[in-house]
Amino acid sequence: MALLSDQDRQIVREHLAAIERPITLLLFTQTIGAPETALLARQVLDEVASLNDLIRVEEVNFVLEKERAAQYGIEHIPAIVLLAGDQDTRMRFLGAPAGYEFMSLIEALIVAGTNDSQLEPESRALIAAHATAPVDIQVFVTPT
Amino acid sequence: MALENAHIRATCIEATEFMDLTRKFRVTGVPKTVVNGSIEILGALPEEMFVRGVLGLPEADQPPTN
Repeated sequence: MALLSDQDRQIVREHLAAIERPITLLLFTQTIGAPETALLARQVLDEVASLNDLIRVEEVNFVLEKERAAQYGIEHIPAIVLLAGDQDTRMRFLGAPAGYEFMSLIEALIVAGTNDSQLEPESRALIAAHATAPVDIQVFVTPT
Repeated sequence: MALENAHIRATCIEATEFMDLTRKFRVTGVPKTVVNGSIEILGALPEEMFVRGVLGLPEADQPPTN
């Protein structure tokens, strides 16, 4: 069963039309003993990918592909890593991107796919001047 | 912010699915932002305040009012 209504699919499709470069959504999960939300995550990503030819989903086995998990710093599943081409955008989602996180996922896809952070010039200048060492940002949200 | 700078990594975490992280970082309300495991930002802030908070910078000086 589709998660999005026809109307929502159309709205999301229009938003995603801004994307100009290929995006891969790496979904880290596992075959046996995966949390229920991993299936939901896969379903959400597949629906999003079906709305734009530049978006694809690649499932990575968290248990069998430990090196890739380490490469992207993945310690929990389900986890989603956004790649632009084969480049890490350093944007990640932990958990199924449903509810509030769904809109964040769409925004992240547009930011990655247009290579435009949409930040104000002042913010960009602050980041360029002050982000000189690793900055790990974790934003906790809930589905509703 | 992650897209702007290779030093920055941004993770959006569904709090109810990862109770261990939620407990570890004492998340009692959302959105809650944790930077490098220590700096905490509560709520949704205006962009510049958020960027300054993440980078550990003081708030911008207010222009003098005459």
